[in-house]
Amino acid sequence: MSEPAMELIDVKKTIGRKEIIKGLSFTINKGEVFGFIGPNGAGKTTTIRMMVGLIKISQGDVKILGNSIKSNFKEAIREVGAIVENPEMYPFMTGMQNLEHYARMIPGITRERIQEVIQLVGLEKPIKEKVGRYSLGMRQRLGIAQALLHSPSVLILDEPTNGLDPAGIKEIRQYIRRLASEENVAVIISSHLLSEIELMCDRIGIIKNGELVAIQSVHESTDATSKQIKIQMEVNPIAKAIELLQSQHDIIAETTDHLLTFQSEKESIPAIIKSLVNQDVAVYQVTASKVSLEDKFFDLIGENTIE
Amino acid sequence: MNNFFNLIANELIKTYIRKSTWVMYIVLAAIVIGAAAIVAAFDDTDKVSDNENWREALQAENEALTKENEETDEDDSFIIDINMDTIHENNYHLENNIEPIKYGAWQYTIENSGLLSVVSLLTIIIAAGIVANEFRWGSIKLLLIRPISRTKILISKYIAVLLFALITLLFLLIINWITGALFFGVEGFNPDIVLSKDGGYEAVSVISEVVSGYGYGLVNLVMMTTFAFMISAVFRNSALAIGTAIFLMFAGNTIVTAFAERPFAKYILFANTNLKQYADGNVWIEGMTLGFSITVLIVYYLIFIALAWVFFVQRDVAGQ
Repeated sequence: MSEPAMELIDVKKTIGRKEIIKGLSFTINKGEVFGFIGPNGAGKTTTIRMMVGLIKISQGDVKILGNSIKSNFKEAIREVGAIVENPEMYPFMTGMQNLEHYARMIPGITRERIQEVIQLVGLEKPIKEKVGRYSLGMRQRLGIAQALLHSPSVLILDEPTNGLDPAGIKEIRQYIRRLASEENVAVIISSHLLSEIELMCDRIGIIKNGELVAIQSVHESTDATSKQIKIQMEVNPIAKAIELLQSQHDIIAETTDHLLTFQSEKESIPAIIKSLVNQDVAVYQVTASKVSLEDKFFDLIGENTIE
Repeated sequence: MNNFFNLIANELIKTYIRKSTWVMYIVLAAIVIGAAAIVAAFDDTDKVSDNENWREALQAENEALTKENEETDEDDSFIIDINMDTIHENNYHLENNIEPIKYGAWQYTIENSGLLSVVSLLTIIIAAGIVANEFRWGSIKLLLIRPISRTKILISKYIAVLLFALITLLFLLIINWITGALFFGVEGFNPDIVLSKDGGYEAVSVISEVVSGYGYGLVNLVMMTTFAFMISAVFRNSALAIGTAIFLMFAGNTIVTAFAERPFAKYILFANTNLKQYADGNVWIEGMTLGFSITVLIVYYLIFIALAWVFFVQRDVAGQ
């Protein structure tokens, strides 16, 4: 299961003197759904364009099933299906004509395979209509269809749920999960919507200013949240409480909106209250809430930078 | 290799599936048919009927024209010149015992060889869009992430442009001939026609005249098309490519005339695109030869192709 499908090895991109991507290294395994997340302008699309060879890699390398996209382009890209930014197809051709166009570019794609892919994305009805008349959601599906035509080992989808209605998003999500588990495809999904990523991905990589800030397993982090919770307390005097928490419980707390805020385990709450009360700190209110991935995400990239 | 034919097929499909391409063909056909209708309406082509007595008819016409010339005012030299030309042509027929042929499909096709510039225009529009439009539509991203080198994609696009030119040229020839045949009849299978050449007259086969009439124009067509293709690949902007190529196509001769006195004039592309100047004998700039012109053309051609290739293959496809 943990065979690498795609490897990024210290990938850098420099335009002029400015380093836009500052050395990304990570691996995506077969059968894994990898979320690639970051605020706009963080370098998601630049990285994806380097993965598929649209942009030259200034330094480092991308390997797909061991083939370098730089020196072995044809063999490497043969195993990649992708949508880069919007799924832009030829508007004056029908969905079918578009798929046939791409099918002619890779040997071995049969008529049956085209039909199969159309069924998978549920486009049987409008496939004979011109793409110019498609809704964004239909284009998104057609984009996924063209990416899957040649049964790639790596599927790269840039903002795949863009323009889909909730039912469509759910369908795509289930479909991506099935691709990963049944066909052992490595799926890379970029997004700035964290909630999407959480539900679809096994792991997420967070990128900010061209650097990988964190890679995190989604399931791992939900396990951890069952223990680590966010606690807010209304206390007086606050300064004394902060001091006490640090000296007696080894917790670093901060004040937000006159509330004492910190993370700890649920089991430690009574002990904390007891020690505060013992030291004549008045406790008016205690609230506990789960630490979500979203909080972590905001912690990592800063709340204001997200779109 | 099979794969490569598929690429060319893709490009041709993308060209011919669009309505705008068909509008071009309809306009071209309308020009040809409209011109024939006008010529037929003001018919003066049937002056010599094909009968046994063509000699008498020509002689009678010569006498009438000579008489008309004597009566015409000396200042009206225009009419006299035209009449003298007809007399000379008639004399050539009489001296060489060549029966004048009726006007028909072949001659109509030859007379319309100027419409080759419309074919150039249409091909320039296609060449200007074939790379730039992919960038405009954003489809370039999906096109370049296939197991095909960028060089191959560029070549397939260029060949598709040349095939478009060829198809359009054949369309023009066929529609010319059919229209000519419907309006004026057919002169026969490859008859000889008498044309003025180098100050005298000469009988040439009609097909060879069609080939040379259209063939020389192809040099300009290929050069301007390649130029438009290059601009399209370098700047990724079809409007710019159409604009510059069409401007140069029409301004080319003016540019050469403007710089005719300068020593570099003969190196200007447009001084060399008309190879007919060597067959006709009136060379534009002294010292130019056919070999020289062909060399200049090849150098320009290679520069255009090299620029298109370098920019298309080497440059990043960054955000649109």
